[in-house]
Amino acid sequence: MTESVYSTPMRDRLLELFRRETWAPLPEEEFNDLAMDAFRFQVEKNPVYGRFVEARGGSPGSIDRWTDIPMVPTTAFKRLPLVCGDPASAQAVFRTSGTTSPHARGVHYVLDLDLYHGALLPNFRRHLLPEGGKIRILSLVPDAGLVPESSLGHMMKVVAWAMGDGDGGFFAGEQGLPLSGPFQEALARAVREGTPVLVAGTAFAVRHWLDVARESGFRVVLPPGSRVMETGGFKGRSREVPREGLYRELSDTLGVPISRIVNEYGMTEMCSQFYEPVLVDEPAAAGEGAGGLAGRRHVPPPWVRTQVLDPVTLETLGPGGTGILAHFDLANLGSVCPLVEPRDRNPGAVP
Amino acid sequence: MDRAVSSKGLIRELGALRRAGEAHLRGRPVDELTGILGSVGRRFLDPDDVLRQEALDRLPDVSGISDRMAAAVLDGMALDWTAERLEALLAIEFEDPKVLDGFRDNHAGREVRALGPGLTVHFGAGNVPGVSVTSIIRSLLVKSAVFLRPGSSDGVLPVLFARGLVEEAPEVGSAVGVAHWGTEREDLTLAALAEADHVIVYGGDDTVARLRAVTPPTTRFLAYHHRLSCGLIGRDVLGDTVEAVSVADEAARAASLFDQRGCVSPHLYFVEEGGAVSPGEWTAMLARGMELWAERLPPGPLDPEEAAAVQQARGAFELRVAAGEGAQAWQGGSLSWTVLFEPELRFEPSCMGRVVRVVPVPDLVQVLAALGTVRARLQTVCLEGAGDRTGSLAEGLARMGASRVTTLAEGPWPPPWWHHDGGGPLVSLVRWTDLEL
Repeated sequence: MTESVYSTPMRDRLLELFRRETWAPLPEEEFNDLAMDAFRFQVEKNPVYGRFVEARGGSPGSIDRWTDIPMVPTTAFKRLPLVCGDPASAQAVFRTSGTTSPHARGVHYVLDLDLYHGALLPNFRRHLLPEGGKIRILSLVPDAGLVPESSLGHMMKVVAWAMGDGDGGFFAGEQGLPLSGPFQEALARAVREGTPVLVAGTAFAVRHWLDVARESGFRVVLPPGSRVMETGGFKGRSREVPREGLYRELSDTLGVPISRIVNEYGMTEMCSQFYEPVLVDEPAAAGEGAGGLAGRRHVPPPWVRTQVLDPVTLETLGPGGTGILAHFDLANLGSVCPLVEPRDRNPGAVP
Repeated sequence: MDRAVSSKGLIRELGALRRAGEAHLRGRPVDELTGILGSVGRRFLDPDDVLRQEALDRLPDVSGISDRMAAAVLDGMALDWTAERLEALLAIEFEDPKVLDGFRDNHAGREVRALGPGLTVHFGAGNVPGVSVTSIIRSLLVKSAVFLRPGSSDGVLPVLFARGLVEEAPEVGSAVGVAHWGTEREDLTLAALAEADHVIVYGGDDTVARLRAVTPPTTRFLAYHHRLSCGLIGRDVLGDTVEAVSVADEAARAASLFDQRGCVSPHLYFVEEGGAVSPGEWTAMLARGMELWAERLPPGPLDPEEAAAVQQARGAFELRVAAGEGAQAWQGGSLSWTVLFEPELRFEPSCMGRVVRVVPVPDLVQVLAALGTVRARLQTVCLEGAGDRTGSLAEGLARMGASRVTTLAEGPWPPPWWHHDGGGPLVSLVRWTDLEL
């Protein structure tokens, strides 16, 4: 049997890296070695990607820096299975919500959920439960059973299983709208019991719930230690709200300080996530001191590197440049590691 | 507009425009108005005139287009602002244009009178400079006072045109106002909408929806939302290389003009199989044409969103090429142009930035079904080489929503009297009164 994503030595090295629990960026050479190994593996296992690399004038023999590896635009996930093996054998199939173009949804075939979970859990814990242990998770992200193709739904299911205290729940319908009644009961119960909670939801769901809460005058002060994970989800929806206002209202309604509201940034085509390090770093280190929320920055885990590229030349831009975001996510070993984002997805928010 | 301007100040200004229209437009014969507007319009064609010079000086920076594109756009647009073209427009729209001056016998046992609104408020888009001037002229021809809030990149031509009007006929000029503000000044937007008798909006779906929702229900609202255009190339022009190259050159010009931002700009070409020149060969000719037109009319700088979109389109397409689906790509340097040969029959809108798709079809008639997904947005269809099928194809295209079927050469330059998105440019603006006594 030839080497597959399950049998390659790369897999064990990555799983070890995810478990290492050191959060400083990897030394450049170590990252580069891993990235070049992943590149060679993907060129070999994904002939379409291999020919793409060739057409761009590259090959594993001619490239020796990860920054020179040809990158795949996420739009490509809409038309082709980008996978290092048989798409039919994928352990999970995630689809984009199709908000950018309702006619075409990107599809990410995840061959190996161990790699996905391996990258997900320590990074989530680091940024939302850095003190360790378990916590009650009240999710405004729908249960994965309702949205089996949503990577966010899957993520929250796995997180709840690994870090939840068993008394939390999922409080959103299939369309992502909050189930406000049961959610508020769960909040009130946590207050009664004095149990800190982790509230997680998309900005879309949070906004809708806050409207409901405001109308009925619902407010709680959650027990100290509570926290919120907010993630994108406005794009393509009928309404947008400025983040400052949303956080202020959320903070007022839940009694959780804004400094304990963490933005998560992830995308269907990528196994790893970015977070604002507000719970692990001093607020100033997270940029809080300088310009409030505007000064916050996302951080990648050590196995992801992000570059900002000039949109025309694709040259790497220096700090502070605005351009296209390109990520190299080692956890994407089974699909494709080097990704370029479309600009409308994340304008200005440079991790 | 100065940030300090209040909605009260704007309302006062709009009231003054309305009164100026009543005083100086209503009673002025339409012939005279045509002469005045035409004289100002002609100045934009005169190389020695300061209005044209200033326009060409400022357009590249403000509108993000190259010098040569600015000249080409101005030449094309201003041609339709001359008295001859405006007279023709009036004659085609109104059998008897003097219905705009008073009651006229229309030989149906009654007299009729066409009246424009007292005040028309325009929200411009700015994807193609000059469109807002055309829109102002239309309103003035039906003797409406005009206020324009131009798109952020379209501040040059309407301001210069308004200045020219003041120089040519100060009283007429006093019925025209132009000011820009950002979407954050909703107070000004609401005030302008509330004061208007007629609102005309050019823009994307979000803009149209937002403004429609806050326009008073009794106010007439005319929206020119996003449109899509394309070309159909039949085997009758693919019989020999010389003709095919010439058609490819016209097709490249149509897609390059306005940097593909116009509602009339083709997003893709459906090319018929069975001619001596195959769709694939024609695509290579189109690519050469795109390169030539990138030299003749260099593209303006892409903003980061546009550039990123072109990168996504190119990269995703390269992967499809690598997947061996029969796709092929040609591209110019610095994202100047991109041609994608797409074997799958469907209408995929371009991300713009001179990204053109070519889709082969066994028979042009098969394109009609593929237009179903864009029916609500279809506008101009350039039809070449259909031979004796032209009539039946035009009928089919009309039923699929096309409001204009034309040649590649004429595609970018609809005449002033075109049924703009399906409606008469002047008759859409007036209200009729019948006199049966």
